[in-house]
Amino acid sequence: MASLKPLDIYKLLPKKNCKECGDPTCLTFAMKLAGGKAQPDQCPYLDENAKAILGASTRPPIQKVKIGVGERSFTLGEEMVQYRHEKTFIHEPGIMTAIPDTMPGDRIKEITTDVRDYVLTRIGTDLRLNGIAIRCESGSPGEFSRAVEAVESVADLPEVLMSTDPVCMEAGLGVSGNYRPLIHAATHENYQEMCRLAKKFSCPLAIRADTLDSLADLSSKCATEGVSNLLLDLTSPSLHEVLNRTTAVRQHAVTRQTPALGYPVFLDCAQPGLEDAFLVTGVAKFGSVLVCNPLSQPVRKALLVLRQNIYTDPQKPIQITPGLYRIGSPGKDAPVLLSVNFSLTFFTLQGYLEASRVPSLMLVVDTEGLSVLTAVASGKLQEAMVKEAIAKFDLGNAVSHRKLIIPGYAAPLSGRIEDATGWKVLVGPRDAADIAEFLLQEWKP
Amino acid sequence: MPTVTFLPSFRKVEIVKGSTILEAAQKAGFHINVVCGGQGKCGKCKVIVKSGRTEFDHEQYESILSAAEVEDGVCLACQAKVIDDLRVVIPDATLVQEQQILVDSGEIPTALNPAVWKYFLTLVPPSLDDQSPDLTRLLWEIEKSGGPKERAIYAPLEVIRRIPRVLRDSGWKITATVALVPGGYRLIHVEKGDTASHIYGAAVDLGTTTIVVYIRNLADGHIMGIGSSYNHQISCGEDILSRVTYAKSGGGLTKLQSLAVDSINVALTEASNSAGIDREDIYEVVVAGNTIMTHILMGIDPAYMIEEPYVPVVRRYLTTAAQRIGLAVGENSGLFIFPAVSDFIGGDIIADILASGMAESEEISLLIDIGTNFEVVLGNRDWMFTCAGAAGPALEGGEVLFGMRANPGAIERITIDPVTLVPSFSTIHNQKPKGICGSGLIDLLAQLLEACVIDRTGRINMTIAHERIRMGRHVPEFVVAWKDETAIGRDIVVTENDIKALIMSKASVLAACQTLMNKAGIARGEISRIFFAGAFGNYLDKNHAITIGLIPEVPVGRVTGIGNGAIAGANIALLNRRKKKVLDEIAEKIAYVELNAEPAFMDEYTRSCFLPHTDLSLFPDVETKLGQCRIRRGST
Amino acid sequence: MGISTISDWTGQIGELVIGATRSEGGTRSRTLKVGGEKDLNGIGNAPLGYPAVVAYEIADDPDLWPAVARHAVGDASSDPAAWARFAEAEIRPDLIRLYCTSTRRRGFSDCAAIRKTVEEVLQATSLPISIEGSNDPAIDSEVYQKIGEAAAGERILLGTAEAGRYRSVAAAAMAYGHSIIAQSPIDINLAKQLNILLREIGIPRDRIAIDPYTGALGYGFEYSYSVMERIRTAALKGDEDLAMPMISSAVDSLTIKEVREAEGEDADRIAVAWELYAMLPAYLAGAAIVSVRHPETVPLIRDACSSLFQVHPGGGE
Repeated sequence: MASLKPLDIYKLLPKKNCKECGDPTCLTFAMKLAGGKAQPDQCPYLDENAKAILGASTRPPIQKVKIGVGERSFTLGEEMVQYRHEKTFIHEPGIMTAIPDTMPGDRIKEITTDVRDYVLTRIGTDLRLNGIAIRCESGSPGEFSRAVEAVESVADLPEVLMSTDPVCMEAGLGVSGNYRPLIHAATHENYQEMCRLAKKFSCPLAIRADTLDSLADLSSKCATEGVSNLLLDLTSPSLHEVLNRTTAVRQHAVTRQTPALGYPVFLDCAQPGLEDAFLVTGVAKFGSVLVCNPLSQPVRKALLVLRQNIYTDPQKPIQITPGLYRIGSPGKDAPVLLSVNFSLTFFTLQGYLEASRVPSLMLVVDTEGLSVLTAVASGKLQEAMVKEAIAKFDLGNAVSHRKLIIPGYAAPLSGRIEDATGWKVLVGPRDAADIAEFLLQEWKP
Repeated sequence: MPTVTFLPSFRKVEIVKGSTILEAAQKAGFHINVVCGGQGKCGKCKVIVKSGRTEFDHEQYESILSAAEVEDGVCLACQAKVIDDLRVVIPDATLVQEQQILVDSGEIPTALNPAVWKYFLTLVPPSLDDQSPDLTRLLWEIEKSGGPKERAIYAPLEVIRRIPRVLRDSGWKITATVALVPGGYRLIHVEKGDTASHIYGAAVDLGTTTIVVYIRNLADGHIMGIGSSYNHQISCGEDILSRVTYAKSGGGLTKLQSLAVDSINVALTEASNSAGIDREDIYEVVVAGNTIMTHILMGIDPAYMIEEPYVPVVRRYLTTAAQRIGLAVGENSGLFIFPAVSDFIGGDIIADILASGMAESEEISLLIDIGTNFEVVLGNRDWMFTCAGAAGPALEGGEVLFGMRANPGAIERITIDPVTLVPSFSTIHNQKPKGICGSGLIDLLAQLLEACVIDRTGRINMTIAHERIRMGRHVPEFVVAWKDETAIGRDIVVTENDIKALIMSKASVLAACQTLMNKAGIARGEISRIFFAGAFGNYLDKNHAITIGLIPEVPVGRVTGIGNGAIAGANIALLNRRKKKVLDEIAEKIAYVELNAEPAFMDEYTRSCFLPHTDLSLFPDVETKLGQCRIRRGST
Repeated sequence: MGISTISDWTGQIGELVIGATRSEGGTRSRTLKVGGEKDLNGIGNAPLGYPAVVAYEIADDPDLWPAVARHAVGDASSDPAAWARFAEAEIRPDLIRLYCTSTRRRGFSDCAAIRKTVEEVLQATSLPISIEGSNDPAIDSEVYQKIGEAAAGERILLGTAEAGRYRSVAAAAMAYGHSIIAQSPIDINLAKQLNILLREIGIPRDRIAIDPYTGALGYGFEYSYSVMERIRTAALKGDEDLAMPMISSAVDSLTIKEVREAEGEDADRIAVAWELYAMLPAYLAGAAIVSVRHPETVPLIRDACSSLFQVHPGGGE
């Protein structure tokens, strides 16, 4: 799990400084390897031992699996870490809306259409639900294929076909098997048949067993059958059990202790009374395919935003384009608030400003995505930048006064900003939550 | 042309109408502070026009000049244009102050293996029996005296032209000078009589602010003379970036190049005068400087180093004839410029490494060179990591209310009585204090922490009732010296904002050290030596530097100041040509770590913005000491 | 030998007790314990530690409170004592957090009123209490002194100490036997620094709850989530200066655009979803106390947290 340091890698390299890898020295190559910016096979002189060590440390410990075809298909697995702060989580879990095959066709189409069309746009990204899970509750191959047909008739969304009966499964695959649906599920009882279907249709396969040991055993059996695009179904009625299973599977996978558990995780979150809790646990704790009932608007919004948050690369702060942002319809006497281009700071302040109902302007300067506190601390927020921004975004013409409200944490810069810009500086609150009160009491153009 | 008279010295200079007062002052030989590079932004170049007409828009600079100043005729030298004869006063504050330039390079033990030799030769005059040519005759004699083989020595045309005259005028007793250059042996000089003992070389530290020159006798290695000078480029901008900006302007590079050469020549002259030698007898000049400085010295455009993707034009070492760039030394004398690693890691750092000896040792060393920018090198003879960053000016006394450079009158040492909180201090040249310089600020920070006046984030504990702890105009402050003790008639204080600026500066340095250590997987216990290069490192209290977490905690005996490492390294390379070969190896070996591209750096920085560091286990001895301080404080 | 979670931690989260009963010198009907874990929340067959504490937040000046949270309790919000009484009877949180929002008004000076409010709230409810005081160094000293004194003996959780203003809060807590919420702006290092500062002025470790500050979902929650995970794993690796229980509060959740722009019932649904979908991950990331403002979130978050914590969900009260 612990990644190798450049110097550890350097000791494994030939130290010839031959430059054949494209780097000037073995040490700089080692730095790139450690940072994942180069591959071991770029070095022609690695011995077998070094290859084994370096190869293992750079290859993802969790199998890559793709579900669906076309635009809405999605990829799972390839995760490297236990905690997102260690590097980042890679592939967002797919949220699959479940319908029973006993549901009337029109209703199935309605739900499928909704899943197909629903989109929530945040920070320039479209967030969507991923696909449909069709449960074979009828036990009838005919009913099941009818339901799959109903889904297929309105959308080419990724699907999960859910039945433990190979006959029903084959009927469903007869309809959509060419579009790489996830087959759910193989057990110790039916795995040979299910593996045959997975191979026949080149589909990924979810497997299920009572314990993790039994599951590891089953995954090995499926691998022997030639099926390696597997998902592990870790569903249990106990959420505590689910949390412990998903945690254990990720630990065993990323530490490579149990390679037979190195597969993405499937969870059926449609659990009575606890669906929200299952979904949250699935998103935060290593789920890759989450099956759920049709979700209300507020819940799906919260779920999609949570998923986006958890799967954002923590090492890349999301930055806002510097500029002059208007809140409401600010007039010439509207207050101007200085802020930084760290997305969290920006959105928080924007939110509180909107809530204050005082039309205002936000002057956002480029602190390379740092918050006010860190920007001040590291010198990334300086008076010269404020002066430049005032000129660049023509603030002088946007308002008739010459007053600038700066964040409370930027108070040490107040004098220098005043000197550099010639604008009168008012030190605002440190907490954006207090901005409404501040504007109410202190702001006079 | 109008004449500008500078007061109080009455130095006069003629200048083209429309030139700036700054240009006139430069022509007259004054070194004026131009922090912003002459853009009218910094307000450091204020001068007073006593009589005559200038073109200067006072309104445009009303944020810089007070009404009273305008009334007095104060204007900015970089902006005011000369219209007719002027009388101008340059206030002291406008002139670049003389400061302590670190000239000592310590004792550097190295073998004497220079790249230039002199041979006193007595030639057998030609005869009808022996009609071999003059040159062959001379070169044979060199070979016979133990020098290189006749066929291996190249003789340039200008030397050959001198040979017949010198041989005959001298009665066939001459001294020949041979240098080993990248192309092989080269006959660089022929002169009458025996001058074999007059063989000198110059080592040069070409700094952004100061220049130091050592002249050494290459026959025995002795130091003959030392000279120093301000880098005259200061009048084109104080920091390196404003120099590059200046270089981009029309003719800027040529101007900077000649200012660099002038500065070196001034120092060379001082050194050769003190040595009592003729500059013509200097046969090799070795220069170590940062990458931008050496580019400018060689007249190579530095512009591409400061914009993405930040590439220098050359990285390897450079050689040429010293006179080609205008250095006032012997006609065929060689010039050797140290190689660089990157735009930020220049020959000065390679020189530091050479002087420290870390590149030849198995032990792991950490080398830190602190100025406004800092460079850190970690490694041993097998591997090296390096990085560079901006420490901000606080450690040199900048951006601190009563901060100043290490000039006379600066408080350079402070102790604070832990019980009475009364500070005692010493100043440079024992003058009444004017301000506090970097080493004094480090002491202050460490002592305030030990006295529990500030907490680990640098905030002053205002609940302590003491006359020296008070609310200043904006923020809390601690009084270091009462106004009647000072030379400036005001209380000298350190404010909470000053302390924060210092902590941020020290945090940049420590975070850089930690980042390199993490990158290499080296714990502090594995570090055998910490080398401090540069003036700052030489004067500071090493214990206090560890107490505040400027550097990692190691037993203080492992911390060594190597003084001006750039000049020391240049001296070594001058005396021992074999070390020059090592230089390119060092430069090749070092892996440069770009801190801005290291996600862990900001984290390390935040951890380091604490006294001494957020992870207290990295500073166990400091913790023990501070624990005792708190107990003592609690019991008073 | 079954495959299970790998637990090679060496550290343990310290315990913090909130509230004092009559026998302990206070007037609370019960005390709350948090902390004690040796792994992440809910991990292990018999997890150590205590179930999540669900806090419900009220304010003494409801004008400075999200409308959706105010409307959800009707008239009760007009008076802090009535609000607290209503909360205990109808909402049933484990902990009531009173925000003295009145101190956030510019020019606030009526410290006597704060004292009265605290006394009335303590009268009105027997639940353990946490109180958020002022946020301005100029008045902090007096405000915290008044709160601390009014709640003397009740072992309340007193907020909020920050790196720039911790001495007043700490002094009040030490003088009257309370514990402290130590808040830092979403950064593990700043959290640790503040804990060191508090330790060095004499606050024992078992009197501190870490508030790493929780951004609203979609508005920085990802930073808070990872900072909480980092703090928790650092503590489990043995960093004692981070081994205090954490409190996570959905303070920003109800002022976001999504909630403000929704009308009527929709606003409630969004508010509850936003609180639940932030506080539950916060619990997974290591928070011991989760704190919300919408009454309907309280039972949902409690059920979810106990299902994660308990081996047998729904195994009775």
